Amino acid sequence: MMLSTAFTLALGLIIVLSVFGLPMGLSMICASVLYLLMRGQDMGIVAEQFLNGMYSNYIMLAVPLFILAAEIMNSGTLSERLLKWCDAVVGRFRGGLAQVNILQSIVFAGMSGSAIADAAGSGKMMQHMMTQDNKYTPSFAAALTAVTAVIGPIIPPSIPMVLYALIADTSIGYLFLAGVVPGILMAAMMMVQVAVTARVRNFPVERPVPLRELPKMTWQALPVLFMPVVLMYGIYGGITTPTEAAAVAAFYALVVSVVIYRSVRWPDLYAALLTSAKTTASIGMLIAGALVFNYVVTIENIPNSLSALLLSWDLNPITFLIAVNILLLVLGCLLEGTTILLVIVPVLIPTAQALGIDLVHFGVVVVVNIMLGLVTPPYGMLLFIMTRISGAPMKAIVGDVAPFLVGLVLALLIFTFVPETVLWLPRMFGYGAAL
Amino acid sequence: MNARLAGIGAWLHARAENLLAAMLAVMFTVFILQIVFRYVLNLPIGWTHEISVIMWLWMVLFGTAFVVRDSEEIRFDILYAAVSDRTRRGLVVVTAVALIFFFSISLPAVIDYIAFMKVEKTAYLDIRFDWLYSIYAIFAVATIVRQFWLGCQAIWGKGPAAFDPTQASSGV
Repeated sequence: MMLSTAFTLALGLIIVLSVFGLPMGLSMICASVLYLLMRGQDMGIVAEQFLNGMYSNYIMLAVPLFILAAEIMNSGTLSERLLKWCDAVVGRFRGGLAQVNILQSIVFAGMSGSAIADAAGSGKMMQHMMTQDNKYTPSFAAALTAVTAVIGPIIPPSIPMVLYALIADTSIGYLFLAGVVPGILMAAMMMVQVAVTARVRNFPVERPVPLRELPKMTWQALPVLFMPVVLMYGIYGGITTPTEAAAVAAFYALVVSVVIYRSVRWPDLYAALLTSAKTTASIGMLIAGALVFNYVVTIENIPNSLSALLLSWDLNPITFLIAVNILLLVLGCLLEGTTILLVIVPVLIPTAQALGIDLVHFGVVVVVNIMLGLVTPPYGMLLFIMTRISGAPMKAIVGDVAPFLVGLVLALLIFTFVPETVLWLPRMFGYGAAL
Repeated sequence: MNARLAGIGAWLHARAENLLAAMLAVMFTVFILQIVFRYVLNLPIGWTHEISVIMWLWMVLFGTAFVVRDSEEIRFDILYAAVSDRTRRGLVVVTAVALIFFFSISLPAVIDYIAFMKVEKTAYLDIRFDWLYSIYAIFAVATIVRQFWLGCQAIWGKGPAAFDPTQASSGV
């Protein structure tokens, strides 16, 4: 595979500019200009790719709306009620609060598409509850919140899956379904791990909430617990598109927080809108930069050349998937997840396709990899956030994350080599039936 | 004089924030309208689709140009965060010069492209595409000015704020 001089220089420019600290999106735009300049092509193509790409990809609109939904949920008392309910259900077991942390992440994952929002939403409260009276060490509490947040974008809805659907041209609906079993499996593994650790390290038991109070508490938390059901019914009942479901999620969170719980006021709502819009601008620049640079990658025919090269090595799907897992896990330690998803993964997709790997299966493997990148040092967004929230040193948090990471990597291997764990549910709903 | 200028700057920034938040509010509202019209009133409407896509495009370009601070952008920070303040200022000067070069050299072609798009109009609302896409030119100019300002600050002693990765949320 020969790279042209123009492409090699453009790639070099992205690396230099981004390592020197220029935002990723802008680095990719600069590199694309360099490429067009050297090729003597019209540099207006940069604007054309940016503008038409953003204007014509309707499914991306799910991203800002899912971000908004999570911001609204986090600005009210939604998380608090959810935590209370979880405490009533699993607090009575040994290591109760640790189990509460996992259970609340499962429910939250069913409403939000972002791991960051999950950790930022309940992280502070969970940290306070777990470290009160020295029940758990701050680093263990922080590590647990970080690893449970990983489930967020694996159980639908999921922002990374929306982005993957965009680059791989697969159905968001089936991708979402494909994440359900893996997400629950990962949570179950964490619960077992916590239960065992709880016996070994003698974690405290919470004061059990009398079972007769459970119906009342469930009733109070019902609007929250109902949200994943509303979303899934909207999408799979054929009532809304996944993009519209994102708007419904935000609307539902708004109604629950403002009308039912009366916990969000105008200033909170404005703050939620502004934060979401700013996050949208940041992630949008990254998407747009990737769209522009992907134009260069495509005219250079990189994905197909790579695919031809790899196929000429008699690569089988198993070796390819192992290589992809290693590559993405290593990159996940160094790079921000969205960048990997939008820049690296598109190059791999044609090869996966040529090897006969199901693209929905591949998508879940990729997303799980990227989520693990959020808790692997030195660059792990969830580690940064939990260091900030808990005040515990990052090194200590990493130490407590490590045992969970072993379990998560094991889960990743299962999803990689037993595609049925991923594809069983989508197939129940008719995926692949038409083929 | 400087305090007054800073005051005006802060006021303008706050108004830009208002506008950005309003764009998201509009996008959200038209989405809800679209669902209500299609499924409740059984009356599909197309213009909502157009407005929400326009809001998305403008939110990204307007937000990046005028609202999002440099410390909030997504970047690769392993080197950037590790070096001394002096070295970091050097890095900022290099990236600023590079960006100004590439954005300036492509600017005429970019403006040509946008002007050329006056021949097309959006399907439902008949908005001319050169109007709609003009935000890209504004973004390009604003980015050049911002990078020029950052570069000057770095040369004349004020280093960029140390990067805080938790501020740069990518929403994943």
